[in-house]
Amino acid sequence: MKQTFRQSMSWLHTWGGLWFTWILFAIFLTGTLGVFDDPISHWMREKGKVSETPQTTAESRSRAVTLAQDYLVQQAPRAEFWSIGLPDDEEPALRVFWREAEGKPFQQRRLDPLSGTEMKPGSTRQTEGGHHFVHMHFELHAGTAGIWIVGAATVAMLVALVSGIVVHKKIFTDFFTFRPGKGQRSWLDGHNALGVLTLPFLFMITYTGLIIFWATYMPAGILARYQGNEDAFFAKLTEGPAPRPLQRIDAAVPDLVPLMLRGEAAIEREARFVVVEHAGDRSAAVRIFGRFDPDAEADSLVGRNSGTALFDAITGETIDIQKPNTVRGGNVLATQRTMNALHFVRFGGYPVKWLYFLSGMAGAAMLATGAILFMVKRRKKAGDEFGSATPRVYRVIEAINTAAIAGLMLACIAYFWINRLLPLDVTDRATREIQLFFAVWLLTLAHAALRPARQAWVEQLAATALLCLTLPLINLITTGDWLFAALVRGDGETAGVELSAIAFGLIFGAALRHLQRRSASEVRATAAAPIVEGA
Amino acid sequence: MNSPLAPPHYRLALLSRVVAAVIGGYLLASFSTIFLSFILPSSLPEAVLGATLFSFAIYTAAIVWVFAARNATRAWLGLLLPGSSLAAASFILYLAGAAA
Repeated sequence: MKQTFRQSMSWLHTWGGLWFTWILFAIFLTGTLGVFDDPISHWMREKGKVSETPQTTAESRSRAVTLAQDYLVQQAPRAEFWSIGLPDDEEPALRVFWREAEGKPFQQRRLDPLSGTEMKPGSTRQTEGGHHFVHMHFELHAGTAGIWIVGAATVAMLVALVSGIVVHKKIFTDFFTFRPGKGQRSWLDGHNALGVLTLPFLFMITYTGLIIFWATYMPAGILARYQGNEDAFFAKLTEGPAPRPLQRIDAAVPDLVPLMLRGEAAIEREARFVVVEHAGDRSAAVRIFGRFDPDAEADSLVGRNSGTALFDAITGETIDIQKPNTVRGGNVLATQRTMNALHFVRFGGYPVKWLYFLSGMAGAAMLATGAILFMVKRRKKAGDEFGSATPRVYRVIEAINTAAIAGLMLACIAYFWINRLLPLDVTDRATREIQLFFAVWLLTLAHAALRPARQAWVEQLAATALLCLTLPLINLITTGDWLFAALVRGDGETAGVELSAIAFGLIFGAALRHLQRRSASEVRATAAAPIVEGA
Repeated sequence: MNSPLAPPHYRLALLSRVVAAVIGGYLLASFSTIFLSFILPSSLPEAVLGATLFSFAIYTAAIVWVFAARNATRAWLGLLLPGSSLAAASFILYLAGAAA
């Protein structure tokens, strides 16, 4: 490999980019949709139709906590943790979560907040809502393995950004250059313009993405300096209370209501979660989390939190109180938290969320144009990188390109349709929705493998456009609610989801028309060729 | 169209670089984290965090270096020399800290 720095970076950008571009596109697209996870959940749970839920009172919360505690004692008297989610506007059910021990599965149930009995399937539209996209974004619904795959792809993204900058040395000239309708050249111009336009955003979002899981991805420091004891390290870093090891002495958890009320008084917020760590053990502690207030300190990047109160469960002694919106720890921790807040768009409200949404979509489009460019270049002139297997490898890359880009977009909008069409009384309904999302995605891969390349693109884009444009209709048919009604009642979240779907439908429609006009002009060019030759 | 695949020595050199980039680069970033956690001027937990925040930039630079180097041997050397120096320096700092 005797070549210049720019040539070696070009090679790295092309091949490193290709093998990671599909997964990166998925991370970008679902992460960008995840910016609006709350409005999406609002749409999927039909919150727009529900009138304001009554304010919870200290009595209603106390009653709910007692019912949840009775239920949890029955299910798991000894547990690594219990967590009780108190009802609120978004989630009217009383939710309980627990895990018996590390390595055992997480358990989750939804209870009626008045009777404490398990909610029957079908009483509400059970769904993960917009959280599905968020989970897809950071762990591909694959747990720890998914977090590591996403981490590897994120490092590849950083490398692709650096090598991309080296390759495009005329970075500002490129930015002002777009030559449409010129095939390969146009794809490259588009890839460059999108990449340069969003470059600061892309660096920020990629680096801060790694920083969120810093202790998982780079444990060397904690291993070497704290013998790998994360609990001890984080207690020191966050200036929190010392960890409480399991004592293995049985001790029943006393009534949680008095502790919840003391916690609420201490942090001056209503409780949102009541968590018991080491339930059933002498070392049990009760942690009260306050309700998040989106309007408090909305312009602050660091220290936005809802407050927590920690008590010894058995003696009732106060271990730690952190008031809402207070900062703990030093400047480096504040830096790391600022990076988190930047990644999660926890600042600036809707205008900044829209800025992130548009930048994220531009990033996804940059990745898609890069992947398409790879094949457009090689359709014209094969590179023979894989010897005699090259045509077959190209065919596979082409099919994966189609399914990873057009197919994923189709699966994402199909997820909204699945939410409306799947019957309400299906067991594990929320999980089924996600399984069907993956089923649709898998089908697009089969479709891309069976159909000619251009046809596969056209058909999947057409299906995506159709599902986007008609989303308000399916909502009207299945729930009786729709865009116009949402606009009239001033429900911006429901209307925003449907208007955005229509906008995406129009964009895909325009892309399709462009594709068709292009193929028509190619046919004309071929038909005209013999005449020119004859002349 | 039926040109042969790249010759075996080219493919081996490429594999060597990929291993250097993924594993070698990660180890270099790990040792730089440990070294920086000794010398950054703040409390120990904050130094560990700060060193780790920086390590992903080092990892990225290491990968770029591996593919920019003239050959695979130089790529490896460029990782092993700074990596082993950082490890040795960290060990000395650890002994100095234990003695103090």
